[in-house]
Amino acid sequence: MKVGIPKGLLNYKYSIFLEKFFSELGAEIITSPNTNKQILDEGVKHCVNEACLPIKIFHGHVASIKDKCDLMVIPRIMQIAENEFICPKFCGLPEMIVHSIPNMPKVTMAPIYATSKEKLYNWIISTGSMITNNKKRIKEAYYEALAEQSKFKAGIKNEGYKLNIVLIGHPYNVYDNFVNMNIVKKLNKLGIGIITEEFIDESSISDKTKELFKKPFWTFARTAYGASTYLVENKKINGVIYISSFACGIDSVVIDLIKEKIKDFPFLILKVDEHTGESGFDTRIEAFVDMLERKY
Amino acid sequence: MKIMTPHLGNTYLVTKAIFDSLGIDYIIPEFNSKKSLEIGSMHSPEDMCLPFKLMMGNYIQGIEQGADTIIITGSCGPCRYGEYCELQINTLKKLGHNLNFVVLDKPSAIGTKEFLNRISLISSNSKKTTVQKLNALRVGFKVLNLIDKIEAKAHYLAGYEKNKSECKILLNKCKSDAIKSTSPDEMIKILNYYYRKFNSIELSKEKKPIKIAIIGEIYTIIEPFSNLYIEDKLMDYGVSTKRRLTPSWWAKDSFMSVFGLNSLDMRRASNEYLPLYIGGHARECIGETVMATEEGFDGAIQIFPMGCMPEIVCKALLPTISKDKDFPILTLVVDEMTGEAGYITRIEAFLDLLERRKQNVLSRC
Repeated sequence: MKVGIPKGLLNYKYSIFLEKFFSELGAEIITSPNTNKQILDEGVKHCVNEACLPIKIFHGHVASIKDKCDLMVIPRIMQIAENEFICPKFCGLPEMIVHSIPNMPKVTMAPIYATSKEKLYNWIISTGSMITNNKKRIKEAYYEALAEQSKFKAGIKNEGYKLNIVLIGHPYNVYDNFVNMNIVKKLNKLGIGIITEEFIDESSISDKTKELFKKPFWTFARTAYGASTYLVENKKINGVIYISSFACGIDSVVIDLIKEKIKDFPFLILKVDEHTGESGFDTRIEAFVDMLERKY
Repeated sequence: MKIMTPHLGNTYLVTKAIFDSLGIDYIIPEFNSKKSLEIGSMHSPEDMCLPFKLMMGNYIQGIEQGADTIIITGSCGPCRYGEYCELQINTLKKLGHNLNFVVLDKPSAIGTKEFLNRISLISSNSKKTTVQKLNALRVGFKVLNLIDKIEAKAHYLAGYEKNKSECKILLNKCKSDAIKSTSPDEMIKILNYYYRKFNSIELSKEKKPIKIAIIGEIYTIIEPFSNLYIEDKLMDYGVSTKRRLTPSWWAKDSFMSVFGLNSLDMRRASNEYLPLYIGGHARECIGETVMATEEGFDGAIQIFPMGCMPEIVCKALLPTISKDKDFPILTLVVDEMTGEAGYITRIEAFLDLLERRKQNVLSRC
């Protein structure tokens, strides 16, 4: 059986787990290419207009491999932490795909509650049994995949730069080099070191979010707010760059919360959508770096 | 202490009834208008959705009238509404207003003790006994039910009325009389009077009006200003409309959700297309569409604010339902830039389409 894994959305974090799990079950893995112009165009063509860029790109990834596989993995990630969500669009992702893209192969519909190993097992069983009936084998593959995933460390931390910034945003904006137009390389070239939220430990993040009136109920809102305000208050960085996709509901809240907290600390918001031009993007980054250099 | 709540359709009548019976001072902010939207957008994050901006406008206009305590309901995701309070508190603080902000979250999310604390912040200002306080809630719920029933009747009968605009005039008169009432009991009497009056409207049964279901995001379909008074417009056109999401539906739904028995009909109807709750009222929207097809409606109009996450998912699903059930659906996205002329053109074109389908105009060509 050929299993298709689209390289969009949270695939940057969980691709190792998914690929290991399905290959252990004996399936052939088909992954989509890295995001490119063609994938973006396909996505824009199929997806509803109002959706945000990452969702459109995910549609493009699915469309690019839909004819090559028998089963498409569309992770309907409901929760990755207790009492927290990701985004409503994630919860309805399989429906959006199935109803927007014609001639889809079979897709995985089961919801993923990855709050604990036991809860995630529900998804494992229901999805694994689409490939094999051997429960023991599914369980083994699950543990193999978990072990593999635990070895994986996401995040960027540059050492040895004079000026450092924290790069905040949803993982699918920060790690997709097509969406962010190689911002990491660009910043490094301009002499700016980068740190991402993965290098801030959980306790500092939750300390920061406790100051809020209400604990944010989106996982990425919590980490983005906690990490950036922690780094700013402990003077570990010189600036904050937030990559946000246009019309992202979560970002509209978090950006304002961060702004409110860090006041006049250097803060650059880069909005991306399918029309973003690279030169305007570069100009803004360069201007921000110039400003940092003068300030420090 | 002067309490205010942001506008949501006719809930200002409920606010009046409850706080009148509790004997607490309150104000009803000015009705939503271009001005309140302007004030609201000025003080809101650019990317925020329309309800946030309108609510901000309400607060600031209410504060100008002397309000010092704001009550809103909360939610715990995944839709943005749950984060409103945090940002709104910050913004109002930045503007230099010293306010009490009472957020009524679900007891299961903040703990029963905290919930009761927040309630007592309000109720401790009333000199009435506990029994009287509970009675105030009962009166409020009664008013809520009555006004929603009256409104639903007016919207539905508008398609059948013999004398044009009778329903609309009666509904408007009912609202203006109710707000002038001096006591909650009098308000209930007025509402009951108008409810009976709707039963005696002259109807022509042989009429077969176009029937449209109004679906979508709860705030924008209930608050008439945010959808540019679409229901009034449709009444003028002689179209029967039905909207299932009302404040009283919401109240019953939240109460029943404690027992897991809420909106069973919508859950059944939406199972085929969206079997999970994904936040906001997306599942209800899908369920309502399916139910509208079963009840013989001619079409549906979906309304949501720009950027609304759950409704975007719905919008992706609706074309499939439309195709499967041969059921026309129009989607209208509203924000502070919505122009009225383009909006009306789209509604009129949609009505033309429904009319032609109904009369089989094309088959005669």
